[in-house]
Amino acid sequence: MKKIKLILYIFSFTLFFLNNLNAANSQQVDKISKNLRCLICQGQSVYDSQSDFALSMKILINKKINEGKNEKEIYDFLKNKYGEWIVYEPEISQNTILLWVIPLILFIFGGILIVRKVSIK
Amino acid sequence: MINQIGNFSLFIALFASIFLIFQSSNVIRNKSKNLDGKIFSALSVQSLMVLISFFSLIYAFIVSDFSNETVYNNSHTTKPLFYKISGSWGNHEGSLLLWLLVLNIFLFIFFISSKKLLNKYRILTVLFQELIIIGFLLFIIFTSNPFLHLFPIPKEGTGLNPILQDPALAIHPPILYLGYVGTSIIFSSALAALVYGMVNKIWAKHIKKWIVISWIFLTIGILLGSIWAYYELGWGGFWFWDPVENVSLMPWFCLTALFHTIIVLEKRNIYQSWTIILSIATFSLSMGGTFLVRSGILNSIHTFANDPSRGIFILCFLLVLVLLAISIFFIFQKKLLKNFTKTFLVSKETAIIVNNWFMMFFLSVVLIGTVYPIFLEVINGSKISIGPPFYQKLIVPFLIPFLLFMAVGPKIKWIKDNLSKINYNQFILFILSIAISYLLVKLYGISYLLILPLFGLGFFLFFLTIKDFFSKNSTLSQKISHFGFSLFILSILFNGTLAKEFSSNMKVGDERKFLNKIIKFENIKIIEKNNYKSLVANFKISDEKSSISLNPEVRIYNQPRTLTSEAAINSTIYSDNFLVFNVIKDDGYYNVRYQFKPLMMWIWFSIILISAGGILSYLKKNE
Repeated sequence: MKKIKLILYIFSFTLFFLNNLNAANSQQVDKISKNLRCLICQGQSVYDSQSDFALSMKILINKKINEGKNEKEIYDFLKNKYGEWIVYEPEISQNTILLWVIPLILFIFGGILIVRKVSIK
Repeated sequence: MINQIGNFSLFIALFASIFLIFQSSNVIRNKSKNLDGKIFSALSVQSLMVLISFFSLIYAFIVSDFSNETVYNNSHTTKPLFYKISGSWGNHEGSLLLWLLVLNIFLFIFFISSKKLLNKYRILTVLFQELIIIGFLLFIIFTSNPFLHLFPIPKEGTGLNPILQDPALAIHPPILYLGYVGTSIIFSSALAALVYGMVNKIWAKHIKKWIVISWIFLTIGILLGSIWAYYELGWGGFWFWDPVENVSLMPWFCLTALFHTIIVLEKRNIYQSWTIILSIATFSLSMGGTFLVRSGILNSIHTFANDPSRGIFILCFLLVLVLLAISIFFIFQKKLLKNFTKTFLVSKETAIIVNNWFMMFFLSVVLIGTVYPIFLEVINGSKISIGPPFYQKLIVPFLIPFLLFMAVGPKIKWIKDNLSKINYNQFILFILSIAISYLLVKLYGISYLLILPLFGLGFFLFFLTIKDFFSKNSTLSQKISHFGFSLFILSILFNGTLAKEFSSNMKVGDERKFLNKIIKFENIKIIEKNNYKSLVANFKISDEKSSISLNPEVRIYNQPRTLTSEAAINSTIYSDNFLVFNVIKDDGYYNVRYQFKPLMMWIWFSIILISAGGILSYLKKNE
């Protein structure tokens, strides 16, 4: 009797543990898939799409998380496989440095222009 | 028959355009005297012809005349009448015809409503406007003719994209176009005013009406598109930073900046060149937007047309217009008054320039985010995507100073004011706002770093704009718009931080627990409609106090054969319950996505308030 109880305990505990693991997984899958472009859709994220591509992508992300990969490793893996195009937030690199910097330069430039047109007195 | 009428009218309009360009340049070069009557008749003829052409197209759609290629490609006999009509501008050719129609009508209204102003200025505006019109006429007639003949005549059309068969989307393009095209009048008249050295208070007062009216239509147009995206695309969001959405937002930033600057020009007679630059930029962005959308180089849910030759035409046309505008600007810039003295640091003038500063920054973020991938691909072939995280990272931090300036700016007086006026009351309100914000962050356990100052300043702006209703130092329209904006900021903050969502695969009879709610999949049934079949599901969402029933649909349209998900939305003044489902495979399971979205209605309502301020301002100036 005790043995059965113990087995039941262990069983339910593992189930509980696995369940929790899955829930945490699915949150992370959501987070990652929101930042991925569904390559066969028109301007939809993997998260929003129900296409076969998006569904298999979600399974793939889940698998990678189970393998113990972190977010960055997963993005890197996908970028290698599908190209930079798949992520919605381009990393700062030689190609994208201007993208991030131009608006900020324009902002500073605008500020200087205003200061020159305004008298502080 | 009706096709030929439509086509022929376009050619007459083209001749009218050539005639007008010829005559108006004669007037300007002093070769002939006042030709008001002649120009008026030519303009009437032109508007009438384009109107006839437009109605012929609508007629062809109503009677499903499939000898017309546009009708064949975009309509179907089983489609409801309303969508047959709206289908006439729901496609590339028809939408350009609508652009042209609005261009003509606006020019006509401009011509008859500006009689008090210098005659040459009016004629020159007509000339510039006709240059735009002739470009569009050539574009329509030679690359996108909506009246192409099909033979043999097909029995049935291919249908309109079902996601476009929707009331909000039926009126979204015309409203948005009224906004876009309104900026063409601002463009033409700014150039004309520059040439005749009349960029002054009187011109400002006159053109302000056009700025306000374009701004109202643009705002409402964007709102309609956003509402449509919310319930029709089934993703539960209202803004996706999709390139085509960005394209409508860019002229909006520019126009909002212009809306503020024109007040300075009207009151103080300064910032002339800046006003002209903004006028040119606003229209260029509207045109550039049309180019980006219509050329098909954008990867977006909205790009229905894909034809590079059209894109090249618009691109060249746009370049010619912009180059013309820039050269006119540099040639005639010296005519502008050189009475500029530095404005004082604490003055309404400076406050408005600060508004412009931020508007231009937001514009640059959106512009660069939208066009950068295109250029990068051309330059070195690498493809990148720029999505919501980019825009959020660059825009959100700048909202903090922006909100602060917006809260204190409008109270500052013209010419010179001092800061000692920041009084006890304002300080108390500021502390109160930060305290409320701190409590909210603690209560809901929000971890995002910037949310505390954002909420704090959102509330600060909210309180100050309410307080303003009891003071006399600004107009009612401004108070309403700014109050609306504070409400907008607060609603999106609440909505963004407190929204919850849940997704799961369920079959009929399943129950899922989410937060304190139980989501039950009650049943599913099939309904046959005239032009689609529909799977209607019934879900019950209940918590301790109440329960609501939601009926999302999956529609299978017959022409063209497409699947769409129709979200079920239950809206209250506190929150929206949003539920959408999708068919996965044939094993009886459906993918169900439920979202709880607080204060959704207030986002729409606040934008309506913002536009209402504009409408009020327009009506008042017309008295």
